[in-house]
Amino acid sequence: MSNRSANAGYDRHITIFSPEGRLFQVDYAFKAISNAGLTSVGVRGKDSVVIATQKKIPDKLIDASTVTHIFQITPYIGCVMTGLDPDGRNQVMRARQEAADFKYKYGYDIAPDMLAKRMANINQVYTQKAFMRPLGVSMIIIGWDVERGPQLYKTDPAGYFAGYQATAAGAKHQEAFNYLEKKFKNDEPANVEDTIELAVATLSSVLSANFKATDLEIAVVTKDSPMFRVLTTEEIDGELTRIAEKD
Amino acid sequence: MDRYSFSLTTFSPNGKLLQIEHALAAVGNGATSVGIKASNGVVIATEKKVGSSLIDVSSLEHMAKICDSIGMVYSGMGPDFRVLVNSARKSAQKYRQTYMEDPPVRILVKELAGIMQEFTQSGGVRPFGVSLLLAGVDERGPNLYQVDPSGSYFPWKATAIGKNMINSKTFLEKRFNGDMELEDAVHTAILTLKEGIEGQITEESIDIGIISTIPAAQSGEAKPIFKRLTTTEIKDYLSNII
Repeated sequence: MSNRSANAGYDRHITIFSPEGRLFQVDYAFKAISNAGLTSVGVRGKDSVVIATQKKIPDKLIDASTVTHIFQITPYIGCVMTGLDPDGRNQVMRARQEAADFKYKYGYDIAPDMLAKRMANINQVYTQKAFMRPLGVSMIIIGWDVERGPQLYKTDPAGYFAGYQATAAGAKHQEAFNYLEKKFKNDEPANVEDTIELAVATLSSVLSANFKATDLEIAVVTKDSPMFRVLTTEEIDGELTRIAEKD
Repeated sequence: MDRYSFSLTTFSPNGKLLQIEHALAAVGNGATSVGIKASNGVVIATEKKVGSSLIDVSSLEHMAKICDSIGMVYSGMGPDFRVLVNSARKSAQKYRQTYMEDPPVRILVKELAGIMQEFTQSGGVRPFGVSLLLAGVDERGPNLYQVDPSGSYFPWKATAIGKNMINSKTFLEKRFNGDMELEDAVHTAILTLKEGIEGQITEESIDIGIISTIPAAQSGEAKPIFKRLTTTEIKDYLSNII
């Protein structure tokens, strides 16, 4: 019996099911993230958590200081957005709004896992209602949880989210995952320098690149300094020098 | 905002609602879940498919407690499950607000099924890509219900949903008997899941939730409470099998 869809191919245009039970629009959103061309990683150590991403300036005339994919959501939570930049900004604005509403309503800062869940639930709505397409971004959230320490979460266009020891998003995320899985078989990074080193090493390895300080963006949250902090170019340079001199 | 005031789930010429059938296909792609009703309780269990060793398994919530006396597990799309967990929890609390006690399982099931049906008929939405197994104890005793993307619901003595449902149900038909106690039911549930799992079954790869009609047996509570088994408890069950 032919399974002629009464929706005649609309399953590729809006988020309704295909005959195999797939949501093509969600799958295509994932492709959009890979096509954007950048890769980001997040690594959680014992007392710290780090996000790192490539900084690619497509045109020399662009003011590099205005180009960023790392955003602060609350004093203790930040994120790196990978994928379509405008969608990323939309999600950051929403995340900031959600965190602020939470603080207003309940009187205390939202925890990273709750923010991740809230953003994932919003993403799920876009996969079920036809009026808005899924966003073409993956959000890697890091933060300090007063009860549980360093936290690392990732949300994606499907509405899925999970906590991670280490994660990656973007063009080379699969290679980054493979690299990180191998490294974490041994041990988790003990201190923040090692965590940063692992993040940088992952990007170097999967992108086959030797980075200059201006090619990377790094942000950290540590036990000693739980506020979300983006490293300056000088600080990144310092870390890269330290890693190079170690070998 | 809602330009889609028409239903996306419409009848095909041969009278089928294809979007619901496709939603069931999405369920069929999901990890297997089983449920068994024992004489003195209910057990539900699922295979936890973790995509990478880097995932912090403690952050995943496959087995959800809806209220003290009802728990829920799913096969299909995780994000859709979260939405239904929130709806179910809200619905249970609303019932409590009016009646000062937890809803009977069939009442909660009807509510949830109604919500799922709405998404097969309302404008601009798709059906949920999950089938649910609800386990609970109320004044009628132990209950096990399945709810499908269409909004149909079925009370079961024992059942399975998801990828390996056909083989699992055949397996259960052979092993189930009405006098089973909760301990045996947990044992059988694990064996059923094991049939479908490729590779080793470990305490990290399955999630089990139980509720017993005899609260005292569950460490001195005044009434039956649904609880997830800890990894240690699952490990103990597994050591008795392998």
